[in-house]
Amino acid sequence: MTTQRILIGLLATVAAATATPAQDGKKEPPKAAPVVVGMEMLPSRHFVVSAKINGEGPFRFILDTGAPITLINSKVGKQTGLSKTGGGLFGGMNSVPVKTIEIGGVTAKNSTAVVMDHPTVKAISDAFEKDGGPIVGIVGFPFFAKFAMTVDYQKQELTLTPNGYQPGDYMQDLMKNLMNAEALNKPKTVMVGALWGFEVGKEKGDEKDGVTLLKVYPGTPAAKAGLKAGDRLLTLDGRWTDTIGDATIAASLVKVGKPAELKLTRAGKELKATVTPVKGY
Amino acid sequence: MRLLLLAAVAVGCAAPLRAADPPAPKGEAKAHAVPYRLTDTKHVLVRAKLNGQGPFNFILDTGAPAVFIPKVVAKKVGLKVDGKGWGAFDTFEVEGGVTVDNARCRVEDLFQLEGMNGMGLAGVELHGVIGANVLARFKITYDFTADKLPFVPLDYNPPDPKGLSGKGGQGGLEVIGPVMKMMAGFMGIKPSFDVKAGGFLGIDAEERTGGVFVTTVIAGGPADKAGIQVGDKLDTVRTNSLDDLGDLKRALAKTNSGDQLKVEIVRDGKTRKLTVTLGGGL
Repeated sequence: MTTQRILIGLLATVAAATATPAQDGKKEPPKAAPVVVGMEMLPSRHFVVSAKINGEGPFRFILDTGAPITLINSKVGKQTGLSKTGGGLFGGMNSVPVKTIEIGGVTAKNSTAVVMDHPTVKAISDAFEKDGGPIVGIVGFPFFAKFAMTVDYQKQELTLTPNGYQPGDYMQDLMKNLMNAEALNKPKTVMVGALWGFEVGKEKGDEKDGVTLLKVYPGTPAAKAGLKAGDRLLTLDGRWTDTIGDATIAASLVKVGKPAELKLTRAGKELKATVTPVKGY
Repeated sequence: MRLLLLAAVAVGCAAPLRAADPPAPKGEAKAHAVPYRLTDTKHVLVRAKLNGQGPFNFILDTGAPAVFIPKVVAKKVGLKVDGKGWGAFDTFEVEGGVTVDNARCRVEDLFQLEGMNGMGLAGVELHGVIGANVLARFKITYDFTADKLPFVPLDYNPPDPKGLSGKGGQGGLEVIGPVMKMMAGFMGIKPSFDVKAGGFLGIDAEERTGGVFVTTVIAGGPADKAGIQVGDKLDTVRTNSLDDLGDLKRALAKTNSGDQLKVEIVRDGKTRKLTVTLGGGL
């Protein structure tokens, strides 16, 4: 309960946070070779990596694919020049630029972090710091999204290859969402963005896997691939299509001209078809 | 209805279709291509069917020691939970063909997920997290320039996580849930997680000098039924006058299946007003 109230407090600060411009998803050509970095698994099954922040350290961080931000405690925030006053629980929920985050010789430049004393990080640090020193924060999305990152629990290794992905800014996206609360209350309209040439449906009370093809338009990619009205579509490009919405989302994630595999059943037999959607509206 | 349709097509035969591949031999460490999405909150979302039900939306979370699902999902899939809050799935199938044998989970209502769902911040309803006890059984590559995550099965089953000893409760496990999902309740938002397809015209068009022109009309599609023809210039769609294809996309993004879309076209120098009943096609 205490934690919950603290987080509500933090949220209010988030809304006031300033953010750097987002450059979501833009690619640059990858350059460097893969680098293998050792990790340490805590008894709690959290992974710890050593990271240098702005050339200082190394410090111990939890590697957290579930964290949309990188988090650094106020002491280290101060030590690395990220915050002049130290973050504190309510004082510093701002996204600050971090010049470099370096793990095992791999460097993410121009990243972001939030300087904050997170109660859970402190609890984990208190429990395990006797074996290797304090844990000062969490390495999250703004760092690892810049790499193709392979996590191998068995070998306790990370493999990092720069991939040119620009993570954008979580704080800014969050604010955008909060300010547009009305849109959150409405069903989302998903644009498929390509022409497949079929229509799917599902009767009320039909709980079985997949959706039924209601129409297959002649001359379209779907017709050319041999789809027929009445076929049951189970997956599209590896994604389950158990509702009309799911089929729409799956189709929307395939780009024009990219062949996608569809799994179908017809007369009880499972079939596969490859459909390449074309440009259309 | 389904049976009837299947019977109707049973006599048909389509050349490009092929029979499903035979199942891969067991024990082979072949990478599964797991479809994922990034949520609006920058979480890595995959879907899983639990005990054959779902799919449910999960975050891949190395910051969580185990799979966590809320009580309502545990109940829905008929999960048996022991006295210490652990449950075991009969089947745990991740989208993309990954099956996890003897997967176990913690059953807890995570306020972080409730908070995000309460606000609809992720843009999708979140049902749980997949943490170390299942993640550790695969070598997973997170690369957001690719549209699938390779899961390579490992011959590895990590020991159960230990709690933060001396922190009270059930070995302190409740303290460490997923490390961070931020966000708590916020008033005034009742998010909708429904998805609708934008309206379907059944045409292709291109930009030429002077505007946007129809290049293809799908026979029997909504545009065809409304009388739109190849060569027509699309002048106004909805209330937007069209300068380029982006305008067309933006106009359609405000529509759904079944909507009446007013379209002004120019054919042989004459402007005609047409109404298209938009379809639900893809």
